[in-house]
Amino acid sequence: MASQPVARKPGNIVYGLDEAPPPLVIAGNAVQHVALISINFVYPLLIFRLADVPVSGVASLLAVGLLVLGAGTFLQAVKLGPVGSGFLCPATFTAAYLSPSLLAVKAGGLPLLFGMTLFAGTLEVLFSRLLNRMRPYFPTEISGLVILMIGISAGMAGLRLMFGSAAEPVTPAEWSVAGITLGSMIAFNVWGRGLVRMLCALEGLVVGYVAAGLTGLLGSGQIESVARVAWIAPPSFQYIGWSFDLALAAPFVIACLAVAMKAVGTITVCQRMVDADWVRPNMKSATRGVLADGVTTMLAGIAGAVGTNTSTPSVGLASATGVASRYVAYAIGALFIALGLMPKLATLLALMPRAVMVAALLFTICFIVINGLQIIGSRLLDARRTLVIGTAIIAGVAVEAFPTMATGAPPSLLPLIGSSFVFSTLIALALNLLFRLGVKKTATMKVERSSIEPEKIERFMEAQGALWGARRDIIDRASFNLTQSIETIVEGGEPQGALEIAASFDEFNLDLRVSYLGPPLELPEKRPTNQEIMDSEAGQRKLAGFMLRRHADRVAATHKAGRSTILFHFDH
Amino acid sequence: MDLREEKIGEVSVVAVAGRIDSTTAPALGEQLTLSLQAPKVRVVLDLSRLEYISSAGFRILLIAAKRADEAGSRLVLCGVVGKVRQLFDLGGFLDLFTIVGAREDGIAAAQ
Repeated sequence: MASQPVARKPGNIVYGLDEAPPPLVIAGNAVQHVALISINFVYPLLIFRLADVPVSGVASLLAVGLLVLGAGTFLQAVKLGPVGSGFLCPATFTAAYLSPSLLAVKAGGLPLLFGMTLFAGTLEVLFSRLLNRMRPYFPTEISGLVILMIGISAGMAGLRLMFGSAAEPVTPAEWSVAGITLGSMIAFNVWGRGLVRMLCALEGLVVGYVAAGLTGLLGSGQIESVARVAWIAPPSFQYIGWSFDLALAAPFVIACLAVAMKAVGTITVCQRMVDADWVRPNMKSATRGVLADGVTTMLAGIAGAVGTNTSTPSVGLASATGVASRYVAYAIGALFIALGLMPKLATLLALMPRAVMVAALLFTICFIVINGLQIIGSRLLDARRTLVIGTAIIAGVAVEAFPTMATGAPPSLLPLIGSSFVFSTLIALALNLLFRLGVKKTATMKVERSSIEPEKIERFMEAQGALWGARRDIIDRASFNLTQSIETIVEGGEPQGALEIAASFDEFNLDLRVSYLGPPLELPEKRPTNQEIMDSEAGQRKLAGFMLRRHADRVAATHKAGRSTILFHFDH
Repeated sequence: MDLREEKIGEVSVVAVAGRIDSTTAPALGEQLTLSLQAPKVRVVLDLSRLEYISSAGFRILLIAAKRADEAGSRLVLCGVVGKVRQLFDLGGFLDLFTIVGAREDGIAAAQ
């Protein structure tokens, strides 16, 4: 069997994917990753707390969750059959499942939560096979909207824990502890350096616990309960049970789509991080990664935990430290499992006061919200797409602001209208489908040889890109290829009459065709030497052809009956 | 394309805004020839407001760099960011020129 080519390591990466760092480096990095991920334990905590599970039960459920994260991190790092991207891309609990899980716990307790989590995991496994086909219906700007609404709905869920109509009034001590926790997380993040900054959320949690201890929010009775439990013991699986409710399928389907999209994004970052020659996403390893992500969520449902996803901050940490070795992933997996067998730690987490939990949640959500906005902004948005996203955001915020909106709805529709995250996504998906009608997928323009205006060509591509909702980076590449090719053709002095441009788009491809009367453009695979470029305009044209070939994903030049045609293809 | 030259100490800073293509490249070529006319001069080319550069622009830059080298002068490029940086990378030019971040870095590197 031919061995796979090894990617060239970028300069900032000290230990590449297949390199084994010294044991101390592996251990140190594994601890950092687990510490970074630990902030996301607030999601299962919030869900289990709403389910009225006693502290010992929450501790046990958290321990099961840690075992699942361990297994998921292994699955992602090893390549087992079609499963696993092979990257250092640990598993974590995710805010995406928070809103649907809260609905499930409210409607049917833990069995419904675990059943629906198993359903979502299974769906993600299936979805991993259909990733590409789903893209037109779930374009990037809607992925961004989903992430934004995940942040908003999770933030609101946290705030309801403190200020909701059913919540106990907030005491002055809780105000202080929440302020100290959030303030210290922000301070460590904004003014901290290196490791202090990287682990700001964990440090803030520790500060929050200390403040809670000093203000009496964590009483001596609770601290004694931590002392009473064993250091090492397997978790109990007493809460396992599964049920299914079709009415809750939509929220879990949307969350599942969101986590699959996010997994693709995270794995793409991994690909880029370890390969200096990275050009574009490799859907093969992304598909394997999404499959591993889905299997991990299935495991969560089976074992009695909440939905999981790949950890994006962890990949950021690997990039910052330069240690991207998959041996670190094995160590993270082992550490998660070891922690899952330590009831003291799980009990300490289970006792987290709501003031600390809500502060931590708000801190993490800031990043999710901004991430969503940035993804929305990465696409060119015309009036249709602006309306899709704008209307959907307003619809989602309205659900949070006016919960009575859902009062009159039939009970079966409550999970759809009663959740800001679900309602907003459904509005966006429906409008996206509606607005796809009547959008021409091919556009043409003529460029007269005597009056070439590069800005006009760029405006043409920009307008079409916005109409199609194309990626900004792809439109930029296409614009360059159009202007550079036309400049080169005209400067060669050969075309007769007008140059005809045709651009066609679907969600996967952007194809440009430049057609003119005259000899074909040379598109060399090899770069001309500097001397060739300097010596003559022919060398300059060769450079143009080389850049055009390199900038597109595929090029072709044909010449028939005096007419030349250049085709540029861009994967989208 | 908009070209502005200013003298900061011993260093000539040429700022280019807009597009360098086959129509505008000759003007840049003339400006650089002028700036690099004397031997052992220091020139910083500030490209932070450049929006587009085609093969014609790269040719002019290569010729200018060669001239500077032969005359014992120093040509430093700064503000090569975003789309323009991608084009430098695409054409294999990132390692061919002395490229630094901000204008101040360029002036320091040229001295």
